[in-house]
Amino acid sequence: MDFRDTPAEAALREDVRHWLRDNLPTGWGTTVREPEDEAARFAFRFDWEKRLYRGGWSGIAWPREYGGRDATPIEQAIFLEEMARADAPEGVNIIGRNLTWPTLMAHGTEAQKLRYLPAILRGEEMWCQGFSEPNSGSDLASARCRATRDGDAYVVNGQKIWTSFAQYAHWCILLARTDPSAVKHRGLSFLLVDMRTPGITIRPLVQITGETDFSEVFFDDVRVPADNLVGELNQGWRIAMTTLQFERGPEEALPRQVRFRRDLDRLFQIAATTQRGGRPVSSDPVLRQKLAACYIDLELMRLNGLRGLTRVAKGKDLGPESSFAKLYWSHMYQRLTEVALEVVGAESALAASDPDAVAEGFFSHRFLQSRAMTIYSGTSEIQRNIIAERVLGLPK
Amino acid sequence: MDFDFNPDQYLLRDSVHTFLTDQWGPRKLRAADARFSPDLWNGLRGLGLQTLLVPEEFEGSGLGLVDLVLVLEEFGRALVPGPLADTVLASEIIARFGSPSQRSSLLPKIASGDCRIAFAHAQSGAGHTAAEVTLQARHSAGEWHLFGQKILVPGAQAATHLLVSAKPDGGEAGLFICPVDDTAVSIQSHRAVDPDSLLCQVAFEGTTAQPIGAITDGRALARLLETSTLAAAIQMVGIAAASLDMAVAYAKQRTQFDRPIGAFQAIKHKFADMLVALEGARSAAYYASWALAEDDSAAALAVSMAKATCADACRLICNDVLQIHGGVGFTWGYDVHFYLKRGKLLEYAFGDASFHRERVAHIVLDDSDSGPADRQSTAANAA
Repeated sequence: MDFRDTPAEAALREDVRHWLRDNLPTGWGTTVREPEDEAARFAFRFDWEKRLYRGGWSGIAWPREYGGRDATPIEQAIFLEEMARADAPEGVNIIGRNLTWPTLMAHGTEAQKLRYLPAILRGEEMWCQGFSEPNSGSDLASARCRATRDGDAYVVNGQKIWTSFAQYAHWCILLARTDPSAVKHRGLSFLLVDMRTPGITIRPLVQITGETDFSEVFFDDVRVPADNLVGELNQGWRIAMTTLQFERGPEEALPRQVRFRRDLDRLFQIAATTQRGGRPVSSDPVLRQKLAACYIDLELMRLNGLRGLTRVAKGKDLGPESSFAKLYWSHMYQRLTEVALEVVGAESALAASDPDAVAEGFFSHRFLQSRAMTIYSGTSEIQRNIIAERVLGLPK
Repeated sequence: MDFDFNPDQYLLRDSVHTFLTDQWGPRKLRAADARFSPDLWNGLRGLGLQTLLVPEEFEGSGLGLVDLVLVLEEFGRALVPGPLADTVLASEIIARFGSPSQRSSLLPKIASGDCRIAFAHAQSGAGHTAAEVTLQARHSAGEWHLFGQKILVPGAQAATHLLVSAKPDGGEAGLFICPVDDTAVSIQSHRAVDPDSLLCQVAFEGTTAQPIGAITDGRALARLLETSTLAAAIQMVGIAAASLDMAVAYAKQRTQFDRPIGAFQAIKHKFADMLVALEGARSAAYYASWALAEDDSAAALAVSMAKATCADACRLICNDVLQIHGGVGFTWGYDVHFYLKRGKLLEYAFGDASFHRERVAHIVLDDSDSGPADRQSTAANAA
């Protein structure tokens, strides 16, 4: 057990910091920020991904033969941590990098890997994920969007929902029903769909924050070449389960913890400078308990992540334990935003654009945003079922 | 970065686990009837546990707190009573802060299993911080004498020596050691909610004692308070883990409405939350063992995080485990209550969750020179 960097790890960390100093815009985080406008922000982040590629930082954990650097999971975590610490722009091709990539590595043909992986690496092709449907949320295996074989193609008809980045994506990983007569999860297949194919309609959904990060996607007689099937026909459920494991793992939790940490620092500053009852909020014994609990919870997220990461680095499978991380941090961050609103007090009613808003309404916005965390990537209820059944072996 | 134990550490854990599963736990506790078990002590001596933190030059194993933490988790799991853990922790204190003669006289005896040490610290009507220690240490004719009373001393009746926190006139509280065969020490068993905890009340009526380290130096006491807090925390992890195992087995086998109760989501979701709490508690306690072993700048913070986290997790788990067992969980005949009671005792030992959260708050909120990010240990690479 040793929480310090090895000399090689420390050198890598220094490399990343150095590169970030040279490549982030001057004044980043103080005078220079991301564009407010959503489309402009997307373009900005997409450009950043290309810059990462040119700097040699794209997909560092991926095998050399596919353009990566064969970095260990720990090295990858260091890279992502340092990115988060510098508040570098967040990636936009999250689905491509975190889901499409490992799924194709595990189940794709050589031709599929060579066609799709380099474009993800270079930041050229954006991906979205077509899993959920209006009537198939937690019960994902009941998906009804159909793909019917017609000559050398599958013809897709149906609807997907909560599709993040759909309006920007070039490609979609799609879970579609190819055998309506089979039991739910046995009749699904995993397809790669070009989002520029005729017959696809995207309708953005407005979230409770007013933003439009996700959309409804409609498929009307969309022709998908048969070569774009991943794995065997009707084996899509197993493949989708691989995908979902990578959505919830420790590599992802560590950099997320660093970003949460910055939010907590900001909260501590507000608590120290906000007066109530003639004294700083940070001296109130009840709020001190809550603020300390936030700090501890966030440290646990880091420590749990490091334990998980060590397991992965030693070649052990992620397994169902990956459900822990997501269940933990989603609720933790929700609590953090609630403590933040308590610290801000009544002024938390003010939106970012109001001149009297505290910290530009940051925590009010985060509070709303965080409501989605216990729902997306598998609700907390589903995560708890997975933990109880697959980790503790309780009966279905 | 490596947040895992090495194969030797797991091997030691496994041998302790095997021994205790066979030789201790609720079944033996019922038979032992709140008495110290020489068999248990000698069995653990056979595994070399008393030698763990004794330096090699004094016939010990020269290991550290990271090696010990998995052993103490097993102590919690098997409800091993004092003064076993206290003796091991005392050996580290004597090795670090003791005078040359204390080291050469006590450490080989601890390693050989002939010396058993209990930590006498708690006082009626006081918290457990060093600043609240009022038991008097008086200096006269070149000797120190202790006056006052300690309570909640685990296993004092079975000990050969006591480590005692005491306050010299006008000085800072420090740590003293005395043999229990002094006629000026009288030890009474408490009537405890958890009788197997072997808690005692100890009265000192001018007991001759030696200070550990320099008189005015509170470092030995400060260190022992940190390591004892960690020991309480990690034992709660073991207690919670054993309780959880019991409840999982029960929920798979107990049938109602023609289904095992573990098939109901109301039960499953409790289990998932318990497991997440348990793993967080493990992470916190393991990390604190490393931070203390390395004298990391964030060690005090790590210990308080561990105690708060393990106390909350242990309480949640012991309560829910009883609930999942239903009526039988409330009976003396089932083992659930053994864990519930020991967990409760440790929850309040060396400061409860609220106390330790306030300590965290003080460290991370009240130092305006540096933001909270700088408060992470060296391990956070925050340089």
